[in-house]
Amino acid sequence: MAVLTAPTTPGKASTPGGIAAWYRNQRGRGALEVSVLFFALQLFCVVWFLSDKVGFNYLSKGNLAVMTQAGSWLAFLAIGEGIVMMVGEIDLSVGANMGMSSLVFLTWYQGGNSWFICVLLALLTGVAIGVVNALVINFTKIPSLISTLGMMSLIWGLSVWYTGGDDIEAPRVKEFGKTFEKLLVGDIGHGVHAQLGWVIGIGALIWVVIHRHRLGNHISAVGGNEQAAKAISINPNRVRLKAFALLGVLAAFGGILISVQTKTLLPGSTLDYNLPAVTAAVIGGTAVKGGKGSVLGMILGTFIVKTFQAIVLLSSILPGFYLQVFIGGMLILFASVNQYFENKAT
Amino acid sequence: MSLLELRNISKTYGRTRVLQDVSFEIGEAEIVGLLGDNGAGKSTLVKIMSGVVPFDSGNFLWKSEDIGHPNRAQTEANGIETIFQDSALVDKLTITRNIFMGREVTNRIGLMKLKEMDATAAGILDSVVTIEGIRSPRQLVGSLSGGQKQAVAIARAVHFQRSLLILDEPTSALAVRATEALLSYLEQLKITGVSSLLVTHNLHHAYKVCDRHVVMNHGEKILDVRREDTSVEELTAAVVEGRVGIERFRAGTPSTIGL
Repeated sequence: MAVLTAPTTPGKASTPGGIAAWYRNQRGRGALEVSVLFFALQLFCVVWFLSDKVGFNYLSKGNLAVMTQAGSWLAFLAIGEGIVMMVGEIDLSVGANMGMSSLVFLTWYQGGNSWFICVLLALLTGVAIGVVNALVINFTKIPSLISTLGMMSLIWGLSVWYTGGDDIEAPRVKEFGKTFEKLLVGDIGHGVHAQLGWVIGIGALIWVVIHRHRLGNHISAVGGNEQAAKAISINPNRVRLKAFALLGVLAAFGGILISVQTKTLLPGSTLDYNLPAVTAAVIGGTAVKGGKGSVLGMILGTFIVKTFQAIVLLSSILPGFYLQVFIGGMLILFASVNQYFENKAT
Repeated sequence: MSLLELRNISKTYGRTRVLQDVSFEIGEAEIVGLLGDNGAGKSTLVKIMSGVVPFDSGNFLWKSEDIGHPNRAQTEANGIETIFQDSALVDKLTITRNIFMGREVTNRIGLMKLKEMDATAAGILDSVVTIEGIRSPRQLVGSLSGGQKQAVAIARAVHFQRSLLILDEPTSALAVRATEALLSYLEQLKITGVSSLLVTHNLHHAYKVCDRHVVMNHGEKILDVRREDTSVEELTAAVVEGRVGIERFRAGTPSTIGL
């Protein structure tokens, strides 16, 4: 019905090629800066490792195992949190969601059900919690900061009730099938674990959804200017619902990975994963006030957090006991940097 | 036949009555100017017509049929496109993504055809409203000036035109040349059967292209007149002084308010 037909040859406002244009386009998402930071940091660590293999054993099997294992499930939380931040909200119940989904997975597996049913139930739990979060925000219009804080405690309590307060201990969990375990959390080589492959694979899928699918455009639109999205008849409530459901799937998948890896979980033990998840998303260039984010940035942001943790823990120069100082400091620092660039860009 | 007709629309916000029994219509292939001072109720009327704000009482007719209290999705389906004063764009998205916001060109599973969208956006920017200084449709909207933003919003509305364009203060941030380009574009659209409602207080721009003028004052319609039957001077008097101004103008008394 359009008055104008699309011209076959773009006019003078067409896309110019070249590095400058590419850079401007990347600037819009913040993926470039975080990539540069990530690779610079890795280079720094490798050089440090090569010059002092004993004092800073960065490329050791043990450190790579810790980074790829703990980094991977955190990456799932960070992507989920990042998507919800893009839509202009925040989810402080993401750690609790992950814990609850894990417990559902472990108890059903312990009950002798097939892995397929357990995975499905865990993912459904994650989605259900995400959907409830979105519905509360949509119907009550209270800030997600408050509603999800309440949900965090609520889910924590439910998970204690669900397990009777016990952690699910390793001996009580039926052994996972060898192939299943290897596929999900096996050692690929030199400490690098299969979880990293899942991050790359699912991360690529989510990248397509956020940066190439219309849903991603709607998420940025609602997060960037809800009134504008509404005026063009995008339903912000529906978009929020989808964003929170996506977070639920990702948090539950992270929960499945951690469950298969550790085979035990204490209710409430995942509550404080909110902080590193938000930190990773913010380092990845996600706009604190919504509208902008990069999936690649969120994943790299996660591993930047993990690299800093490795530096603090491995090196003897930094006080390892005060890890939280670094994570909290990084959150504030990078949030300020994002805000600075945003003010500059608009 | 009327395209959109409002009958005795009233609206209150809390205790403030912003619209009082307003009736007015927009015909097919007609450009109507909606004039009035700040606080006259123009914006509320526009929001009611685009389905964003519900009205308290009255009737909303589309093509002579009462459609109750339509929401935004219904008015959108009918083909009403609104460009709001407070620019309906997302700063953090590119021009292309803004133009196609909610109407992305996608394949069957919803993946966007970004190249096609970029090319179309470039074409829209070049041909609909000439906008100076835009490098690329992949530029972020946040990096544009107020006038450029408005032009992009107008370009979007024009590209996706259906039957009625509502432009809320479209020319307030535009350069003279861009304004003229826009107004002549609206006239071209009229020939193809598209109606427009121009909400403005810039009488001189609106006067030239509008077939009919509606003047609002304190939530009431005080004047609804064809262009042939009025003048810029009468409209000015109505906007500035309300009913008194119209009477004074028709009586031929000079204004007491310096203009």
